[in-house]
Formats: sequence, C-alpha cells, structure tokens
Amino acid sequence: MTTKTLAFHSSRGGTGKTVIATNLATIWANKGLKIALLDLDFRAPSLAGAFSKAIKKQPKYWLNDFISGRCKIEQTLIDVSSTYRLKGKLYLGLANPSIEAIRSTMDKSRAWEVSAVKRLFSMRKTLFKEMNIDYIILDTSPGLQYSSINAVVSSDISIIVTTNDEVDLKGSENLIENLYLELDKKPVVLINKVLPETQLHTNKTEKELINKIENQLKSPIIAAILCYCDVLQAKRTSILAIEKPNHAFVKNLETIAKTLFLTNKLNFEE
Amino acid sequence: MLVKTFTTPGNLELLLVKLIEEVKLTNKKLDSIITQNSPNQKQKTKKNHKNKSTSPLSPDVLSLLSLPAHLRKTVIALYKLEKATAEELSAETKRLRAVESASANQLTRMGYLKKKREGHKVYFYIEQKMEENK
Ligand SMILES: Nc1ncnc2c1ncn2[C@@H]1O[C@H](COP(=O)(O)OP(=O)(O)OP(=O)(O)O)[C@@H](O)[C@H]1O
Ligand SMILES: [Mg+2]
Repeated sequence: MTTKTLAFHSSRGGTGKTVIATNLATIWANKGLKIALLDLDFRAPSLAGAFSKAIKKQPKYWLNDFISGRCKIEQTLIDVSSTYRLKGKLYLGLANPSIEAIRSTMDKSRAWEVSAVKRLFSMRKTLFKEMNIDYIILDTSPGLQYSSINAVVSSDISIIVTTNDEVDLKGSENLIENLYLELDKKPVVLINKVLPETQLHTNKTEKELINKIENQLKSPIIAAILCYCDVLQAKRTSILAIEKPNHAFVKNLETIAKTLFLTNKLNFEE
Repeated sequence: MLVKTFTTPGNLELLLVKLIEEVKLTNKKLDSIITQNSPNQKQKTKKNHKNKSTSPLSPDVLSLLSLPAHLRKTVIALYKLEKATAEELSAETKRLRAVESASANQLTRMGYLKKKREGHKVYFYIEQKMEENK
C-alpha cells in the first residue's frame, strides 16, 4: 500500500477541520491502519482537547520543538491507541499551547519558515519509511499562515473544509485560485455544516448543491456533511467515532475514509 | 584594437550597425533580468535595512508566489531533496533536465539558491542560515 499525507485546511475558522481530522484518524486507526495525526495549528492548538482522556501528562517535546530542530519527530509522538482500544495505531503530535510558544510562532523569519517546510518533508520520510505509518493527517490553522501553507506544500492531498455560506465559499475560491493553483496543488473540497433546510438527504438537492459548489470552486467535492446539532453541542473532549460510532456524522466520515483509501490504492496501482 | 581594423567608411558603418544590434540585444536581456529580479530587489533592500548582511534571499512558501511559476516547482523539489543535481531535480519534477538546469541556475542568479561542485556533479541547494533558529 502506498502512503499519503493529507492536510486539512480552510479559508475561515471553525469550519470543522479539527473534528473531521480527529474522527477520520480514529476511524482509520480502528480499521487497523497506522496513523499519525499532527496539530500544525500553532496559533490555536486544539488536538490535545479531543484526546485529553489519553494524554496523562504534558509531552516532553511538542511539534514546535521538532520543527525548530530541537528533537526528532518520534520524540513528539504520543501513542493513544490503547486508551481507545483501537485495532491499529494512532500517534498524536501536539502543538505547544503556551502563550509564549504561540507568540513565538508569529515572529519567525523567512529563513526559519524555509527550514520548517524542509523539516516537514524530512518528517514524512521518517514516519513512512522508519515507522511504517500509513497516513499522516495534518490539522492546520485557517487562512494564509506559514505553518498551514508549509503543510499544504508538503502534503499529497489538501482537503479544504468549507461551509456553504457565501462568504466562506468566496474565501475558499480565493484560496484555491491564488494559493493552491499558483503552487500547482489541486485540492479536494469537503462541504461541512450544511443546514438541514437544504434537504441534503433528498438526493436531487444534494447533487445540485455539490454541482453548484464544484463549479464555483473548480475542484472536486469529496462530500457534503450536514450540520448536526448534537455535534455542535458535543464536548470538545469527546471523539464521536468512538462514543457514537453509528452517528450519521461518523458514517459520513467512514465513506470519506473509504473513498480516500480507494483513490490511494488506485493511484498506486496505476 | 577593434577600431583600427575597421577604418574604411564602409566598414565603420558595418561596425555601427553591429554595435547597435548588440546594444539592442543587451538591453533586451537586461530588461528581462530586471523584471525577473524586481520583486526580490525590493526584498533585498528591505532586508538590508533590518540587518546589514547581504545574505541570500529565502525561498519560503510565500516568497514562491512572487516568483515566476516555472521556478516554483524547482524550489519545492529542493525542499524535499535538500540538495540535488539538475538530473535529480528533473526526476522529481518530471520536467526535462534542461528545464530544471535553467530554472535552478536562474534561481541561483536571483539569490534564492546556492550551487556547488562536487567532483563532476553540480549541486543546487537552499542555504541554511544562522537566523533560521529564530
Ligand atoms: N457537521 C457538523 N455539524 C455540527 N457541528 C459541527 C460539524 N462539524 C464541526 N462542527 C462543530 O463546529 C465547531 C468547530 O469545529 P472545529 O473546531 O473542528 O473547526 P476548525 O475548522 O478546526 O476550527 P479552527 O479554524 O478554529 O481550527 C465545533 O464545535 C464542532 O463540533
Ligand atoms: Mg481547528
């Protein structure tokens, strides 16, 4: 099987990147795959919250340390598989949430950013070749942050998570046209938090919505997920794929996981 | 001396025509160099304001966007390969060796890449800088 690096990105905040990345990683790991889920949202680290049950103590090294060349990638990883009794492996790499660390990510030099993107590329080698990781999933900050663009450049697929709100769509369009295509990257788009009034469950309107957005963003749409009130209200410290594996939100992500897995296999066999 | 061998009026005219052509060509070349370098020239002066070092330019992901599109692929390949010959770049980007060679040499002239010879091979790389730890 070939290996892949996926980056979750968006134009605006709060579209669902972290929840989707977290659940997708858990779903894959529970299918027996080896997953590394990395928090590259250095401005607002949030992966630790979802996995708080498994994180007993503060890690010795953060991803910030790895990117800065202060440790190896292996030293940042926390194995959370046993806490959730996953069939495969799920390793977490966390971003340092301290104010000092967040502040320091904001005033890095251009030279530092060059070495950061190089570290991401070399990290892929280590994780795939030495640790036999199947998928690396990168959660990023919204918009044009260096860490996010570095993640996009160093990944095989970027998944732009957008709502079907007009402003959000316009932002995604802008991001695709002026960043992705300029860097020769072709993203896929995930439409999230579609309001139930859109009647997504009736196939005709779902197709219409997808066609409309596909035309606007000129990019393939991987899925459209409804806005579920209970997902919105769920505690940030819970992982739906574990607590409610039969929830429609999880079922949606299972389909996405399968699609990505199959596309990956197809590409490999080509 | 060049002029001495062209003393007859007919030859002088020929020389003038040749010179004008040369000047036109040089101007053209200069123009293209200036347009290629103009965004970086600005960066260079800005940078020099901050610290006086004439350190090379950093080809970070956002700076890539201000480079001509055909040069970006070469830089991205070097993020991954760290150090590469034109041949190795071409294997990574799936473009012709000659294209990669031209692109890498142009980036080197612009100050984004460094070039070094090791035996028969010429390697391109992004220079590591002191300030990168900041
Ligand atoms: N399909 C959905 N239905 C309902 N709520 C959702 C859905 N997807 C995500 N949410 C909720 O939206 C909120 C924001 O999600 P999340 O934190 O994953 O977004 P994000 O894109 O990572 O945000 P940021 O840009 O701030 O990192 C969370 O409360 C999450 O539970
Ligand atoms: Mg997030």
